Formats: sequence, structure tokens, C-alpha cells
Amino acid sequence: MIVVVGSRHDTVAAALVSRWPGAALCSAEDLCSPGWRWSMPGATARRWIVAGQPVRDEDVSGVFLRRSAVYAEEMVSLHPADRGFAAAEAHGFLSCVLATSAARVVNPVRDGAFGEEAVRPECWAAAARRLGLPLAPQRVASAPIRRAALRRRDCVECAAGQAFGPADTALRAVAGELSQALGLVWAVIAFDRQRRLLGVSVAAAPGEGAQAALGRALAEGRP
Amino acid sequence: MILVWGERADPPVARVADALAAQGAPTCLLDDAALATLAYDLDLAAPAEGWIELQGRRIAAADISGAYVRPGEPRSAAARVASSVLLALLSALPARVVNRPAAGRSNAAKPYQLGLIAQAGFAVPDTLLTTDPEAARDFLHRHGRLVYKSLSGIRSIVATLQASDAGDVARLDEVRHGPVQLQAHVPGLDVRVHVVGSQCFACSVRSDATDYRYAAAAGHDAQLAEHELPPGLGPRLVALAQALGLQLAGIDLRLQADGGWVCFEVNPSPGFPWYEDATGHPIAEAIAALLTGELAAT
Repeated sequence: MIVVVGSRHDTVAAALVSRWPGAALCSAEDLCSPGWRWSMPGATARRWIVAGQPVRDEDVSGVFLRRSAVYAEEMVSLHPADRGFAAAEAHGFLSCVLATSAARVVNPVRDGAFGEEAVRPECWAAAARRLGLPLAPQRVASAPIRRAALRRRDCVECAAGQAFGPADTALRAVAGELSQALGLVWAVIAFDRQRRLLGVSVAAAPGEGAQAALGRALAEGRP
Repeated sequence: MILVWGERADPPVARVADALAAQGAPTCLLDDAALATLAYDLDLAAPAEGWIELQGRRIAAADISGAYVRPGEPRSAAARVASSVLLALLSALPARVVNRPAAGRSNAAKPYQLGLIAQAGFAVPDTLLTTDPEAARDFLHRHGRLVYKSLSGIRSIVATLQASDAGDVARLDEVRHGPVQLQAHVPGLDVRVHVVGSQCFACSVRSDATDYRYAAAAGHDAQLAEHELPPGLGPRLVALAQALGLQLAGIDLRLQADGGWVCFEVNPSPGFPWYEDATGHPIAEAIAALLTGELAAT
């Protein structure tokens, strides 16, 4: 079974659930539904709640993340004063589940963070430097600054060891090398006209080719 | 230049600032209260370039050799933006940063951190994360006594549950509303170890309170004393902090009657002055030495 972890309001998550056979959505509501069992440090009888139903962890082959956090606004069944705490608790719980599940999690938890939060600029910038990739400036300033005209971007989708998108072969190879260095199974890697790295994101909707590659990888489970 | 970022009145921040001053280190206090007025121009792709400016004092990023980072929650939108920029800068700056922001994130997911502690070879308490009242009750009956603690860093006060208390057993029905963390109670002596670089400062805490940090509020006493660690444990704790990317850590352990050690959690931003006052351990001095480079980082 493939589990897509995301919001029930996320249309991309819903589309992926429809696209991948046997996939189901694990929502914020599921995280707060009765039935979860997660033992530590042993992995005895671990159980998810997915689309309202209990699922044994060993029956989950792959998990695709469509969120970086659990938000207080999602805790609609609770008193507003408790929502922030409940969301933080659900977030901490989800971090642990994703990090310790027997399933293949795309992308893996890093430093306790997941989703876009796990690919923060300091991570990919450092990896790029180690690989000798040139970085485009990432200027931030408190005073208004004159921005360069919107830079042409070449985006490469990296999914399960394959690269997708209109970029040339060399740039796709560079993107693949960077995603591998970062331990990412899925990412969109953007370059500017001068082939400098602009950024890495895992928040985009996977394209057609990436969806197919990810669907296979998630169904197969851990490599 | 060494940045000290936090609330001026926060005891750890004040102690580190004082210790740096005593060592004659050039220091700039980035007070949370002034954060909204921070000016900056930085290239985060080349983090040693650019500058920050606070209260008329401009500091080149390249001149920042160290930073002690203990910010509170930003209080305004402007402070949140400035905080994000500073966190990004201090994540990548080639300087001695105590601690890098990413290294502290595991504390917001305590069971995730517990997994890392177990991976490092420490015994950890038998733990159940659940929203299932039946599983929670089975776990309580199996262990007889449990502690409940938050999964995140919020409302982080430990409470106990007894299998012999019908009220506690009934209370477990409430777990159906959201995930909770239950741990087998581990009897023994509490020991807090502050790791600073490669140094360890161990302090025992004797208290009848479930959570000794709140002993007074619960009508209990807490007696703190210097504690000598057995040979070999200190280097393992330094290695644990290092594995979590932490130069400074407050590690909570319990020494069992049979001499075994159980590790509960690693605090990436410990409030060390209470322990320092009780034991005389020069923790702030060691942090200052770490920031100036006099004490080797791990």
C-alpha cells in the first residue's frame, strides 16, 4: 500500500491517491483518530490510521509526503486554545513515524524535519558546494533592493533515480547527482541561465513521468 | 566578533554574555526585544558576505567568528522575518555556532530523538506512541507505572500514571483525541549532564517530584549535587551530542540501582544556570571558551 501524507484539501495529494493503485491519504484528521500504535525502541505491532482505517506498518510499502508540518488550523475539532499544542504533538508524532516506518519514505526525515523543511537552503547549498556546483546568489536585504529581471529557469525533476524535464542531458546529470547527494528520492532542482543552482524544492506537484517513476518505487518499498 | 542572540534577561544568555566579557571577547548581544529593528544585506549562497546591523552597529558576516543562539518566539511579523534571516545565516556561516539551528530540531519531535539516542547505543525507556485507549491501557498494565510526556517541546512537563489508580486507567480514554507519548517509569537517580564541546558536567538531582524541574510548584524539594560519571560514559555522551550535531547539550539520564544508565532526552538549548549555581560547574565559562575557540569543538 502507498500512503500519501497530506491535507484533505490538497488537490495534488488527491490526484496522486487516484493515480497510484491502492494508495490512500493519511490526513491531519487521521493523525488524531483513535487506533495508532507505535512502539519504541522495538517495532512491535506498529499501526497507522489511513483514510480512517487501521493499517499495519508492514503493509505500507511507500509513503509520499505532501506536507512539511501539521498546522494548528487543521485541528478543527479541538478548542482553539489547544490547537497549537495538538498540532505540535501531531507533528512530533508524524516525524517519528516517518523516520522509523519500515516503508520507503519519500523523502526521508532529516534532523527531525520532513517535506520542504528537510531541504532547507543550508542543506542543498552545502551539498552543492561539496559537489563543486556554482550557486546563484540568494540575496536577502531589509531595505528594498533592485531585483534582476525574472531569471530564466531550467527545472529538472528527479524521481526515483530518473531525471525529467526539458533541460539538457548534462544539467539533468548534475541534478541527479545533487538529489542523490541529498538523499532525495523526489525533488525539483532549478538552475538559472548560467547553469547556477537556484534552489531545490520538494513541494511541487510531480509531473507525469515522475508520478509513474515514484508510483513504482513506492509500491516496491525500501530498496 | 561573537554574537549572543536571545533575551537579555534570560539567565543562560546573560551568563554566556558575562563569561565572554570576562574573557575579553568582542561580543554583540542581539536582544530579542530589538530584533524587529535588525537591518541586513546578505547573500545566503555566500554566507560570509554581507552584513547585519542592530541599533546602529554594523557587523560584517565575515567578522562573525562565533554565535550563541537561544532566541525566544518572535513577537512581531518584523521580528519573525529577522529571525528567519538570522537562522538562515547562522545555519550556513563558517563560524562556531552553539548550536546550529537544524541541530536543535530533533527536540521538537522527542520520540524521533529517542530513536537517535537508541541508535547511539543508549538504553531508552520502553515507549508507546498511541491514540488507542486499549493499547495505552495494556501498556500501563504491563509496566504498572508510566510517565506521560509531550511529543513536542511544548508543555513539556512529565506526569505519572499508575495501573493501580482507577482514575488514571479511565483517563487513558482521552488518548483517542490525539497522539500521546507514554513511557515505562524507570526508577533511579536523575543525572543531568551538560556537554560543552568535549567537556562533561554531571549533576545528580534527588527529588520526589515526577518532574524535578517543577518540584517546588508541586510542593517537593530538589537537591542537586555534583556527580562523578563512570569511566567511558562521558565520551559516549560527547559522541551522542556530536551525532545530533550539538556543541552544547543538556542530557537527561537516570542511574538505575543495578548501575545501568537510561537516557531520556537531549536538550539542545539547556537552561544550565540552575545546575551551575548548585554545583559550581563553570558551564558558561566553557561555552564562552568554545565560542572563542579556546575550547575545542567536537
